[in-house]
Amino acid sequence: MSPAAKPGPDESARLGLRLTLPAQVLVLFISVFPLLMQLYISLTDWSPLSGLAWPRAWEMWNTFANYTDLLSDNRLWSALGRTLLVMAICVPVEFLLGLGLAILFADNFPGKRLLYSILIMPMMVVPAVAGYMFYMLFQSGGPVNDLLSAISGMPVTVAWLSDPTLALAAVMVADIWQWTPLMFLILLAGLVGVPQDQVKAATLLGANAWQRFVTIVLPRMRAIIIIALAIRVIECFKIFDTLFIMTGGGPGVATETISVYIYKITTQDLIWGYVAAIALAILIVLSVACVWAMKRMAK
Amino acid sequence: MTRPLAFAAFRYIVILLATAITLIPILWMASMAFKPIPEWQATGANLTWFPRNPTLDNFRFIFGTSTSDLIVALDRTALKPILSSLLSASVGTLIAMVAGTSAAYGLSRFGSGANLPLALIQLRLFPPMAVMIPVMMMWAFLNFMDTWWGLALIYGIVTLPFAFWLMKTFFDDMPREIEEAALVEGCSRARVFWRITLPMMRAPLASAALFVFILNWSDYLIALLLTTRDWVTIPVYMASLSSSMTGQLYGAKAALGLIAAVPPVVLGVLIQRHLVRGLTFGALKQ
Amino acid sequence: MSAIRLENLVKRFGAFTALKTMDLAVDDGEFMALLGPSGCGKSTTMNMIAGMERPSEGRILFGDRDMAGVAMGQRGVGFVFQNYAIFTHMSVRQNLSYGLRMGGRPKAEVAQRTGAIADLLQLGDLLDRPAAGLSVNILQRVAIGRSAVMEPAIFLLDEPLSNVDAAFRAVMRTELKQLQRQFRQTMVYVTHDQLEAMTMADRIAVMDHGVLQQVGRPLEIYNDPANLFVARFIGSPGMNLLAGLPLETAAGPVVDLGAIGHSPVLAPAQAAAARRARGAVVYGFRPEQVATVPPGHGMAMPVSFVERIGARTILHLGHGAQGAKAVFENDVGLSPGSMAHLAPIPAAIRLFDAETGVALRGT
Repeated sequence: MSPAAKPGPDESARLGLRLTLPAQVLVLFISVFPLLMQLYISLTDWSPLSGLAWPRAWEMWNTFANYTDLLSDNRLWSALGRTLLVMAICVPVEFLLGLGLAILFADNFPGKRLLYSILIMPMMVVPAVAGYMFYMLFQSGGPVNDLLSAISGMPVTVAWLSDPTLALAAVMVADIWQWTPLMFLILLAGLVGVPQDQVKAATLLGANAWQRFVTIVLPRMRAIIIIALAIRVIECFKIFDTLFIMTGGGPGVATETISVYIYKITTQDLIWGYVAAIALAILIVLSVACVWAMKRMAK
Repeated sequence: MTRPLAFAAFRYIVILLATAITLIPILWMASMAFKPIPEWQATGANLTWFPRNPTLDNFRFIFGTSTSDLIVALDRTALKPILSSLLSASVGTLIAMVAGTSAAYGLSRFGSGANLPLALIQLRLFPPMAVMIPVMMMWAFLNFMDTWWGLALIYGIVTLPFAFWLMKTFFDDMPREIEEAALVEGCSRARVFWRITLPMMRAPLASAALFVFILNWSDYLIALLLTTRDWVTIPVYMASLSSSMTGQLYGAKAALGLIAAVPPVVLGVLIQRHLVRGLTFGALKQ
Repeated sequence: MSAIRLENLVKRFGAFTALKTMDLAVDDGEFMALLGPSGCGKSTTMNMIAGMERPSEGRILFGDRDMAGVAMGQRGVGFVFQNYAIFTHMSVRQNLSYGLRMGGRPKAEVAQRTGAIADLLQLGDLLDRPAAGLSVNILQRVAIGRSAVMEPAIFLLDEPLSNVDAAFRAVMRTELKQLQRQFRQTMVYVTHDQLEAMTMADRIAVMDHGVLQQVGRPLEIYNDPANLFVARFIGSPGMNLLAGLPLETAAGPVVDLGAIGHSPVLAPAQAAAARRARGAVVYGFRPEQVATVPPGHGMAMPVSFVERIGARTILHLGHGAQGAKAVFENDVGLSPGSMAHLAPIPAAIRLFDAETGVALRGT
């Protein structure tokens, strides 16, 4: 083949268009229709139980009643509060434990690779299976109580999953077990990226280990810390699989987070018009938060 | 820098403690999977950490080949759920990888689809529960409910962001000289992509595919909503296993859990080098 | 108190020996350059003085104090890294004051000393600028100031001028020298640039492949290299080194240079050195220390290339092992292909044992 001139910009643009087409179609498919449809039925009382096909939902029009209802829906707001509580406890604990482990793993030592592979396993366990693991562990006749009995010397038969507070604690333990390795993984990568020369220079100037950590290491890890926290906060807000298998949202509503609540009213009460309103409300709030966060990051 | 002995000892103690905590839940489930009925029913003082009489009965049970005197007829064995998980996760991975890799290349080399990065991150931002009703209705309309291909499609869409971001950072990292050289020789850009770039990207492609596969295999909520009987995946099937006569069937569920959990853990350890890149959408590389 | 003594220093990294038994004494207040090509062990030596590496064998003493077991933060040395290691997430002021702040000095003292060092290094205007994005020249000053403000008795610099642009290098050389004189610090300066070492140092320690080749004043090293390596390394271009055999002729002792012919008669000092040779020798002379002579006298060598740099002319003579260079301060009427007849200044001749490479001395 004789050497020809390089392909022109037109050919590149056309190829680029064709390459991105499948992804664009899929994204459109999953965003446009769902959004419009949710918008539509959120303004109605529609439910699949109504006997109407959804395009005829306008017959059950209620304008913004769903939206005002959700503002006074106590169950919704407690679910939200519970979710925020779980986030407020789990994310910092995971962060601190992950950071501690990362610091311990910063140097080389025998067995490092093997131990590292083991420590990152929890985050790769199927979350539903992890839920089941902890369900078994926290049975009143199960290993956790067995361990506690052995340590304290007294027989411990706490009914973890039947007690409202303890069930929430158990759920948090499961979350921390599963996701601390994620923090560990990301923070270790960030820690290793801190320029060693600067750390040495600081040492030569007389800074001790704590001073070096606070004035050099942490500031240089700032971007990574923000990323790790953002990822974990977003995922923790969505928490469902593990929790649902462990407690089903119970006892009662003691461990009902926002995802569990929405699941229940979707599949049990089937008030889909209302659910659509909640979904859109969440969408709006999160989008605003996203834009605000991006503006702050750009500065 | 050398550290004092006390610190080294402290480090080992803490790490070993962490390792123990990491392994206990997994080992407990593995242990339960191999226990015979009386052992996994045991509570309190009768509890044993390791099976005294290890047995494969639980595995036989879930595959319908049990010889025990458990008088429970299973609606269905674990075979179909395993098949469903495999098919939906694999094909879902295929969809995500094809769409994601192409788009990533398009953006990396030609700057097309500049809206995709943001759009795809937003996809991951919102709780899945918030968008599942329209999806359920679309799927019902398309007759995709309770099918493995319906699951595969939604899996492909939901993990597209990861495939896209991973491959985009890999493409960005790849030097363009080789492609440029081929272009000067007269190759069309499409040929360059097929014959030169992709073969060079075998390892990153494999890592990205495994990463996406792990995510798809691990799904519970979407399968819970979109499958009912025929094509439930392993997690959904596992949650539904119960018997009015013998309670919660711990042993069988543990066996199933083990089957479900082992592939992703093994795959994850294999691709651990790229985990940071995948989990942070390429913001960080290991 | 700030004299440095290295005794029997050895450093091994696994199977590789980076430094082989080094003995060196740096006097209090002296500017000592560690000079050598990459991999010669000069940076390793300096890292051990600073405490960043531990010696495999041997001792390091500051004054009379053995530094074994003294951690690197406690040695009171200033250190400037090759790439400066500036804290890019801090301002210039925060960089300069870092050591003082970590040491818990009172705020007023920190401000005063930081200001003083900033003025000295002309960084006054930049104090509150973020360190990131500043030019290399400024960063270099900040790196020096950051260590200098601690008023260390010993200052270690690891090739600090290698990233600085050429024009600025000359300025910085003078400034560093002045700084050292002013504070009377003992300064150890690692470099691979022999011009830098020659112009700045009180004494130079020349190293190669982990072995100390020669220690002495710049002029000593230049005029009396201890071996072939030093002879070649010092000077630009390096010393001419021609293989030959000592020979007694009717005219007097000479060195038979093979195809080139006989060298001019050796002066008494060099003749005495030649007599101590056990075999073949290497006949050395600096390119600047030759004069042209009428044909029939001196050495005859073909001109292969003429290099003109401004007023200087460098003649490239012969080729390969029998090649040499001659440097003249003005134009010489010779062109490539013609024969050059040269005689080195007799007192400038240096002879080396061809087998060991060691310089031969008369006494």
